[in-house]
Amino acid sequence: MDIVLTALQSGIASLSSYLAAHVLLCLVPAFFIAGALSALVPQQSIVRFLGPAAPKWVAYPAAAGAGSLLAVCSCTVQPLFAGIYSKGAGLGPAITFMFFAPAANILALSYTGVALGADFAIARLVLSLVFGIGIGMIMALIFHRSDTVRLDNAAAFEGGEGISRQTLIFLGALIVLLVGGTLKLDFLTTPLLSVELPWAAAVAIQNALNVLVPIDLIKGDEGLSVQGVILIGMLGLIALTAWRGLGKVDDGFTRLTFVSLGLIAATLIFAALGIVTNDTGLVVTLSGRTLVVAAMLASLWPLSSRFEVWDIQQWLWETWRFVKMIFPLLIVGVFAVGVIRMFIRPEWVQAIAGSNSVLANMAGVVFGVFMYFPTLVEVPIAKMFLSLGMHPGPLIAYLMADPELSLQSILITSAIIGKLKAWTYVGLVAVFSTLAGLTYGAWTDGTSISTVALGFVAFIAVLFGALHYMDKRQHAAPAL
Amino acid sequence: MDIKILGSGCAKCKRLEQLTKEAVDAIGVEATFDHVTDINKIMAYPIVATPALVINEDVKVAGRMPSKEEITAWLKAV
Repeated sequence: MDIVLTALQSGIASLSSYLAAHVLLCLVPAFFIAGALSALVPQQSIVRFLGPAAPKWVAYPAAAGAGSLLAVCSCTVQPLFAGIYSKGAGLGPAITFMFFAPAANILALSYTGVALGADFAIARLVLSLVFGIGIGMIMALIFHRSDTVRLDNAAAFEGGEGISRQTLIFLGALIVLLVGGTLKLDFLTTPLLSVELPWAAAVAIQNALNVLVPIDLIKGDEGLSVQGVILIGMLGLIALTAWRGLGKVDDGFTRLTFVSLGLIAATLIFAALGIVTNDTGLVVTLSGRTLVVAAMLASLWPLSSRFEVWDIQQWLWETWRFVKMIFPLLIVGVFAVGVIRMFIRPEWVQAIAGSNSVLANMAGVVFGVFMYFPTLVEVPIAKMFLSLGMHPGPLIAYLMADPELSLQSILITSAIIGKLKAWTYVGLVAVFSTLAGLTYGAWTDGTSISTVALGFVAFIAVLFGALHYMDKRQHAAPAL
Repeated sequence: MDIKILGSGCAKCKRLEQLTKEAVDAIGVEATFDHVTDINKIMAYPIVATPALVINEDVKVAGRMPSKEEITAWLKAV
């Protein structure tokens, strides 16, 4: 009985620290950015660089851009992948697009940054960009001959407007909100003003919370503060008002729309305050972060009024749709991770993946390939492994392989490009994820950054050089 | 009038179908609706991005959500 209780407690601890600490200043703005990308950025603005006549040096970066900007939801991935493959720039850029999308969209990146640290987010972005383009080029080379038979359909890629300036400014403001709310920089965290609020009950509440959700720094449990409880309560209120206020916003703005938007803004500002319990009450601290968050929120109002009402409705509707699609699965996932964590012995993880060996990195990849988790749940799983003593190298290998290779994505790909190509792709991703883990692991193990960078650059140079050479030869001898 | 919605069955595509139906009802024209989800059939049209709206085999919009006013204008122009 005890073990069930402890497991449940661990699940609740994991969930509450997630809701109170990680979600707010990171995921809330990230969801709004994802909504804006989906509603305000016309797909044609990037797709036009992916036509059949696009040169390689335009097509591959554009494919990566499409992956990170357009493909927040899997329902855009499938048609775009099929379109790029069968009508546009071909197999290589299509593969790059598909590889890059799950690792580099705004939700995955910002959540990785907050839960695991900015270095993991940057590693994930850079490694998947380089390897995404690499794998795309290798695939294009291997299947060079079958790739020439494509529908000539340049019209689908032509024209279309770019991203308007006001959309760029609006996205910029949202990104500053996200970055200002999450980065741990000195000028953001230095306290500017502290106020003590005498509230005797706060001490008792905090003590009760510490019993309910114990702080365990070794396990990475951050406990739950008074501020955290209030934030979770506010999230609940937002959910209640947003259900109709944002979910039905396409029929027009209602009072609930404004209530839920106001609540969201208030919650973000409240989350950006530093609140600690001392012996007599609460100490509320105002920092640069609070000011940045408040200023950016204030700027959104005049910025959004420059859009047409329809666009703003679309933005809010898309945002809420992403929340509804991803958030419930994430909550279940985070709770489950907390429960499961109780039953995994750190020694097991350390024995298998405690060091940066080839086998350990392969173990990370194999786990990623055979386990399927919904969007973003790979992040709390990775956090669990990290706290259990997994080496950062194998962890990156896992983070690269897991979202790339779900059963669903393998099925979609093989339906569009055929089984042989799909399984070649799976094999390449497995090899490259292992390599990515080894590189990152070597760096965190203290190999000097110049050595790692040199090795990395040399590898990329050799890879691209070889690909370019083979490509030339194949072009020179088409009769073969 | 023959109206086709192209899309993999995602929320956006369902919204586009609903909006178009509302626009059709509002101006009272006769129309048949077809929601095309087969990726090969979708790719037969000159589009890359979904959702897309096709009226009498003519692609009106792809890759973004049109407003009801836009849809109404297209319906009236046929």
